[in-house]
Amino acid sequence: MWKVVLILAILVVFVVALVPTANTPEPIKRGLDLKGGTHLVMRVNVGDAVRLETDQAAETLKTQAGKLSLPAVTTRRVNDATFLAIPPAGASTAEYEKLAKDYLGQFDMSRTPEGAMQFKMKSLSVTSIERDTISHAVETIRNRVDALGVTEPIIAPESGNRIVIQLPGVDDPARVKDIIKTTAVLQFRLVEGSTGADAATTLATVPDNMKSEVEILPGTREDELGRPVGVEYYAIRKTVPVTGTDLKSARVQKGQLGQPNVGMSFTPDGARKFGALTGANVGRRLAIVLDNKVMSAPNIKSKIEDQGVIEGQFTQQQAADLALVLRSGSLPASLTTLEERTVGPSLGRDSIRQGVLASVIGFIALIAAVLLYYRGAGINAILALFLNLIILLGMMAYFKATLTLPGIAGIILTLGMAVDSNVLVFERIREELRDGKTVRAAIEQGFSRAFGTIIDTHMTTIISALFLFQFGTGPIKGFAVTLLIGLFASVFTAFFVSRVIFDVVYKPEDRPSAISI
Amino acid sequence: MQIFVNTNYDFIKWRMAAVAFSIVWILVGAAFYLKNGINWGIDFAGGASIILKFKDKVPMDRLRADLGDASIQQYGKTEENSALIRLPQLGREGDYAGATVEKLRKDLNPEAADPNKLDLNFYGHARIYDLLSTSDPDAKGTNDAAKKYYSDVAQNIMNRRSELGIFTNMSQVSSAPGVTANDMKVLNERAYVGVFNPLNQETVGPQVGRELQMKAIWAVVLSTLAMGAYLWLRFDLMFGFSAIVCIVHDVLVSMAFLFMIHGEFSLNIVAALLLVVGYSINDTVVTYDRVRENRRKLKQRMTLEEQLNLGVNQTLSRTILTSGSVVIVLVALILFGGKVIHEFAWILLIGVLAGTYSTVTIVPAVAIAWNNLTGRKHDIAGPARSARIEEPRGEATTPRKRKAV
Repeated sequence: MWKVVLILAILVVFVVALVPTANTPEPIKRGLDLKGGTHLVMRVNVGDAVRLETDQAAETLKTQAGKLSLPAVTTRRVNDATFLAIPPAGASTAEYEKLAKDYLGQFDMSRTPEGAMQFKMKSLSVTSIERDTISHAVETIRNRVDALGVTEPIIAPESGNRIVIQLPGVDDPARVKDIIKTTAVLQFRLVEGSTGADAATTLATVPDNMKSEVEILPGTREDELGRPVGVEYYAIRKTVPVTGTDLKSARVQKGQLGQPNVGMSFTPDGARKFGALTGANVGRRLAIVLDNKVMSAPNIKSKIEDQGVIEGQFTQQQAADLALVLRSGSLPASLTTLEERTVGPSLGRDSIRQGVLASVIGFIALIAAVLLYYRGAGINAILALFLNLIILLGMMAYFKATLTLPGIAGIILTLGMAVDSNVLVFERIREELRDGKTVRAAIEQGFSRAFGTIIDTHMTTIISALFLFQFGTGPIKGFAVTLLIGLFASVFTAFFVSRVIFDVVYKPEDRPSAISI
Repeated sequence: MQIFVNTNYDFIKWRMAAVAFSIVWILVGAAFYLKNGINWGIDFAGGASIILKFKDKVPMDRLRADLGDASIQQYGKTEENSALIRLPQLGREGDYAGATVEKLRKDLNPEAADPNKLDLNFYGHARIYDLLSTSDPDAKGTNDAAKKYYSDVAQNIMNRRSELGIFTNMSQVSSAPGVTANDMKVLNERAYVGVFNPLNQETVGPQVGRELQMKAIWAVVLSTLAMGAYLWLRFDLMFGFSAIVCIVHDVLVSMAFLFMIHGEFSLNIVAALLLVVGYSINDTVVTYDRVRENRRKLKQRMTLEEQLNLGVNQTLSRTILTSGSVVIVLVALILFGGKVIHEFAWILLIGVLAGTYSTVTIVPAVAIAWNNLTGRKHDIAGPARSARIEEPRGEATTPRKRKAV
């Protein structure tokens, strides 16, 4: 009797899990392939961050040397983690070596045959920069995705400097990818010379002594009405006095003509730096550089402290997206898309319809076949099958497993396999009956003899489901999970539930003489 | 209803013919492979795959002219107006599918020249919401209630599009619940329905593709070995070995079929193969389990051939039935499950059938060959000398229960 109660209790527990509530309107989460959404694998180009660190070290060396009035060295970066410092001919490098000890602790110094000092970043430092870069990138992407209002996103680092991003329900993948991938390195830098149609013309307008201090960056040329008409080049000072990290917030606002632009306010520290920069350079042009592109280069009319505006050819949406990425901070390194899978909502809807249709038809056909072949005992198998289905779906709801299209196939396949266990038992019972056993003895023997076999058949499928889980991504993993849960449910229903039903229908004390099987 | 009761087919006699058949089947598959190679899906080959649904007939010539090296075909039935575009790998990482879809959007839609007009078949909820909430046609203001109002309208429009697959004209947009005449005024002015809706876009870079290839091969090989090891532990070395041969056979037969239909070798196919590895062996386990059980209680002299034949016949009904129940389900999946899992279901079907077939033919053949090569240790000679020869299958006299019970 307690067994019947247990089965009913399990039934109730799992049915409850499947009833949609206000908190969980969708008891079983649909995977990206059913719901629509985007799956992205991005590589974080950690070399960017290492390179930046190396460049900064080279700068530090030069600045410190300048303070001590040492003979100027030229520096050249060999690769992401290595740079050369070449002293003028005949100059002693002893002072430099002392400086390196004090300021470049994370670099190993060696000599090239030509007498230059070679600084190579210690591998421990490289690893730690790479690790920080990844976690920083994950954090930034999470901020951005959260700001987009995506529900239940997955943003997880993976081996090989990768980040896996899953965004269910995203219906405009291009925009989301843009937002995620924008490095959003914002800089405020002074402009030298004047703009030109190509890099060489621009450079020619820069005084000779400044030529090594600037770099040429592209920007959009506008006509008198502010419409984009092409590209022009700016000579921009290499020094970066104020950056995006000095921002307190950024938001969309309306310009004088009603066009959207992005307003920024600075942190107290940022405001001080920005005030000093604008105060000392009234009358000059200040470039607002985003990801190495000049967004605009207004003239500094007076000292500005805490507010700034980025103007450009923005639509409302672009301005909103830019404000969003500026608020969420810049990415420490660029991202490269390695893999993308986007399913539009229409296709997901189609897939569900077809998957469910196929499952229902398969299930009905299965029921018909079992009833036809096993008659009375078939009802037993079908009850076990229904319970199996409910346990399977209920477990998925409890474990927050994701239902994918292959997962639907997995469910219906599991049911096909669950029948297998019943068939094993029933065939065994029939055999025992043919051998002249009584109904009760046949049931006893049928169940006990089939047990080992059923464990073996389930074990083999579980082994392959585990490999499937290990191997698979996304939908395939969902399939493996469904299969695993279904296999455990099937052992339970075939052995316990089916047995209890037989025991209830053919009670031992009734000494049944016939069985419908 | 009962079928296959107390059968006594001589499967062992036909085993060599069956082995020959399997070899021919696999060789035919291999020939197809040599002729056509493997039709690697983008999961493994890398590249991009895009499915677009068009308002009208798929403009094949236009697409072909626009995308030089792409393979373009109808997706599904002609009246679904959908196209599957496959772009070969570029040899470098990047968002390939996205860039192509964007290019097509600009090339195929004359309205796309105006950046201030919104393509309702292309963009999502956020942009529709943005358009409506900035122009505020229903005079709701800018408070949170207004935001929610316009967000809901935008979502309804998106849902309507999902139901229809694509908007073919603006009046379908107005049929979405909650869309007012004022909203439509704004939409008619500032939006349009473009010629296609991207249903699906996938890009797999060369690096990921190579890794997935390796992972797939390892998964199939390791799971086969793991299965063999498990069965060796549960049974014996002969059986473990026969089982591995059986699994390899089933996988090869399934793959040969894939080559014959020139199906695409995708992640789903690998999943199907892994499942074939795990499931097709079930029949073999059941049969061998019976053979082992018989060995414990048989009282007459029996060669391995006879033992196998008895075991196969005793479990035949069960073997056919359980394969049958899975086959029923798979046929339903093939017929109604849609394009995405079509080939997956086919491979499983062939794998399950191959599993059943190999259980009654290939496995005995391998076991017998093993037995012959190892001095026929698996024949039972001992009990034949006992006095109870006359009592072939009486279980009452052998109350010995199985270990597992």
